[in-house]
Amino acid sequence: MKKKYTVIDTPVHNIDGIAKVTGRAKYTFDVTLPNMLHGKILRSPHPHAKILNIDTSKAEALNGVKAVVTGKDTLGVKQGIWRRYKELCDEEILARSKVRYIGEPVAAVAAVDEDTAEEALDLIEVEYELLQGVFEPLEAIKEGAPQLHEHAERNINVTRHIEWGDVEKGFKKADYVREDWFRCSSQAHVCMETHGAVASFIPEGKLTVWTSTQSHYYIQVLLAGVLDLKENDIRVISRYTGGGFGSKFELDSAQFCSSLLSMKLCKPVKIILTREEEFMATKRRTPMFYYVRAGVKKDGTFLAKEARVFTEGGAYTAMGATALYLTGFFQTFPYVWPSYRYDGYRVYTNTAPTSAMRGFGAPQATFTAETQIDLIADELGIDPIEIRRKNGMYPGYEVPGQAYIQSCGLSQCLDKIEDWVKSRGKLPPNRGIGIAAYGFMSGGIFNWFDTPYAFSSALVQVNIDGKVDLYIGSQDMGQGSNTTMAMICAEELGVHVEDIRLHMGDTDKCPVDLGAWGSRETLMQGNAVKRAAAEAKRQIMEFAVAKMAPNIVYDLDIKDRWVHLIARPERGLSYYDVVKEAIRGKDGQPIIARGHYTPHRKGMISPAYSFGVQAVEAEVEPETGKITLKHCATAHDCGQVINPLGVKGQLEGAIAMAAGYGFTEDLPMDEGKILNPNLVDYKLLRATEMPETEVVEVETYEPEGPFGAKEAGEGLTNPTAGALSNAVYHATGVSIKDLPITPEKVLEALREKNEKKEK
Amino acid sequence: MIRDFNYLRASTVKEALDLLEQHKDDYKIICGGQSLLILMRQGLVAPEYLIDIKNIKGLNTINFDRKNGLRIGATTTHRAVEKSPLIKKHYSVLLDMEENLASIQTRNWGTVGGNLAHGDPAGDPGPVFIALNAAVKMANKERERTLPLEEFFIDYFETALEEGELLLEVQMPIPPPKTATVYEKFNIIKNELGIVSVAASITLDENGLSCKDARVVLGAAAPTPKRAKKAEQMLVGQTLDEKLLDKVSEKASQEADPIADIHATEAYRRSMVKALAGKMVKKAWEQAKTSA
Repeated sequence: MKKKYTVIDTPVHNIDGIAKVTGRAKYTFDVTLPNMLHGKILRSPHPHAKILNIDTSKAEALNGVKAVVTGKDTLGVKQGIWRRYKELCDEEILARSKVRYIGEPVAAVAAVDEDTAEEALDLIEVEYELLQGVFEPLEAIKEGAPQLHEHAERNINVTRHIEWGDVEKGFKKADYVREDWFRCSSQAHVCMETHGAVASFIPEGKLTVWTSTQSHYYIQVLLAGVLDLKENDIRVISRYTGGGFGSKFELDSAQFCSSLLSMKLCKPVKIILTREEEFMATKRRTPMFYYVRAGVKKDGTFLAKEARVFTEGGAYTAMGATALYLTGFFQTFPYVWPSYRYDGYRVYTNTAPTSAMRGFGAPQATFTAETQIDLIADELGIDPIEIRRKNGMYPGYEVPGQAYIQSCGLSQCLDKIEDWVKSRGKLPPNRGIGIAAYGFMSGGIFNWFDTPYAFSSALVQVNIDGKVDLYIGSQDMGQGSNTTMAMICAEELGVHVEDIRLHMGDTDKCPVDLGAWGSRETLMQGNAVKRAAAEAKRQIMEFAVAKMAPNIVYDLDIKDRWVHLIARPERGLSYYDVVKEAIRGKDGQPIIARGHYTPHRKGMISPAYSFGVQAVEAEVEPETGKITLKHCATAHDCGQVINPLGVKGQLEGAIAMAAGYGFTEDLPMDEGKILNPNLVDYKLLRATEMPETEVVEVETYEPEGPFGAKEAGEGLTNPTAGALSNAVYHATGVSIKDLPITPEKVLEALREKNEKKEK
Repeated sequence: MIRDFNYLRASTVKEALDLLEQHKDDYKIICGGQSLLILMRQGLVAPEYLIDIKNIKGLNTINFDRKNGLRIGATTTHRAVEKSPLIKKHYSVLLDMEENLASIQTRNWGTVGGNLAHGDPAGDPGPVFIALNAAVKMANKERERTLPLEEFFIDYFETALEEGELLLEVQMPIPPPKTATVYEKFNIIKNELGIVSVAASITLDENGLSCKDARVVLGAAAPTPKRAKKAEQMLVGQTLDEKLLDKVSEKASQEADPIADIHATEAYRRSMVKALAGKMVKKAWEQAKTSA
């Protein structure tokens, strides 16, 4: 087939790759300024306590200490990212009167070096009155449990209800009803670059903050709110970000404390969190207790579903309200459930706050739903692929009251994965293949942040030599969005990726984009870039038309730096020549064009949804319960692929992260204290544990996406825990409903199964 | 934060022993730093003096002869053991062990002596060396002494090394004829510390039929690397069969004295000892049959 495109759909190496691997890329950690001080943060050792007094005098007297700040030095703003809802803005960052989790900041020090700052922390005397803590959501919601926040009775932070169809009638009609309880564990983001910031305030009243973030715009606005500065008196620079995964788009303690200290001193202050702080106090994946009841017909047709979720909120709201909603929404994905009822409760606990993490509630939903579907299929004697095919979403389906599905490649994905499963042939003993189907959003429509700006904007400037400056607000945090945007711009404008000079990661220079979360960049920033490039192209072609004077019925286009008649591509002009003349004709002004995108009338959740099916082949050692991943094949419908290498990278990263969630990673606690806050005891998968992975191609086109593209970021994290749990089930006959699926749980379940058999 | 310390470097054993004597109350010996630096960063250890022995000549050695067997100097790195042709030829179990011990970066720096002196019951060399009947040579300013390695480990992170004493080398005798030693650790992430591990050494009679001598050593299953002596005794004089292996596994798991932590419960550790012990004995036995 002749390729439609010259730039996209071609594997392109990350445009930041060389700068990164040669160490030229400057991360926040690398920023050093003249007269820069170093900051450290004192954190609460108690899960729940009143602060009676903080005496900083000894710390201030230490040689080399320049300033100490506590909650008293703040404006006392309770901030949060859900800015439209005041009651959900509940976190002060520097606690004034009460601490609610181990690791909550209570003071910060700026000193001449890190060691001095840390030494000073030991000299700060905090007088606490210890309060009883509560650590589990099912305990915290009970009457009489210790209450974290005055406004939240029974510690209920947020509730969510979703309902459509007649659930009771559906269950009555069902031939088979099954109910299961699941426990979904927590997970740490473990970004390679820990949270950090260098803040520099100057007497003229301007603050500059270099930081590692997923959204420089959010940090700019949130800082303005807590410091009482104008948004545009704050400049946030985030040229490179070493991983985010959901952990870096809220205001964090490094950004806030370094800014406070710098404002006090009018000197730059740098705070980089340690790995231990990162584990203890930078938010994490939301643990969930999940009840799911499903009613189906004998032939496997889905009729009714009911889900109830209690999430461990931790001490503050953070992005937890979104996770609570999305887990309820994605619980039905990617299927047609004629009736559904969801009730979600986010409960405050004296633990580190839980928030956004890649998949945002959907991996939990997919794990529980897909595990249960296999149990149903098994009970009814229906093939796992067949039951999914029978009930799958399709193009044009409307999730009642919630969402409208335009493109949907689920059935293609199922067909391809079915072929893959067959190609594996008969499996050796103790092996099983589990599949899981899933979907995800391509950016969120919800505007809890209350931005008055368009969701994404881009600016294109074409210079005299044909080189293009592209200004974008999106944030590359390793996922490759810079490359994607350069490719979209180059394709639309008809030039090469090397012709694009990218400007990003700086609120002073870049138009607003909400940032890299909710798998939004390809679709939203991509649309804005494409529109800006299209407008620049239109301006260039005005001059080409004048110059070439073709018959008016002909259309022009630019491809591969060649401005030509679409119908007669050999008739054309060099892009460089046209640009030169066009600019001369514009009185010497470069060609400038803008583009923006905000979803309108696209439902409540997202303008477009990805779909996919993943198959995981795993081996279980019966003597030990140890699980080994053997193969993993994924058919992911992300619409038109922009960069095949980018999709592959996202997939491999997602499998490592999601398989870790499935069987090795966890944050065990004792009375709110995380017991494994280091990379020795926190079990990340390594290359040696990665299965062979395969991307199975599917072709779809999403009308709402740039060139038909949808997300290929978070969605890929959704299926793996469920597919793994199903693989273990098919290998051993035991289903583990409690993540992570450790060898110990498998062995115990096998022992119980054998005991039952003997009886 | 690592607390400030005074850094001293010794270039001979004598110099090192003088320094140890001089700073008796508040020193730590550093060589590769792979265990110590983690403890120092976590603030669990904050010595006044750090005495570096990495540059001492003569401790970074691997020697083998038919009379004395194998001698590994205390500052020899894991990587050197792994890459040694002598070890590959005569003590291949050590090569297997090293290939699964931490990462290459750690093996490049971490040393055999440092690993033993750290006294972590989950360390790999301890059980394997004990299965090979190893002894350790130590010295202080006054004297030298040699101790069987199994007596060297006293408790969690506690060894027989006294103040002022330096570990010099590990010695392993030539294994008797018809002997094989094997080792395996159970973990989830390859090359990480074992949740439990088992080393087994089997010596058969000259006909290769019955067991003449056995060592079954458990790692991460007690406060120190631990010989399952009752299980060993069950093997001596016996011929190999599955029932015997089951009994030996059961006995070894009873002899284990594991802790519960975030990685495994006590019961699971016992089950893993049970799963590994018989497997290792069988493997060593099969290999012993074909060995010289």
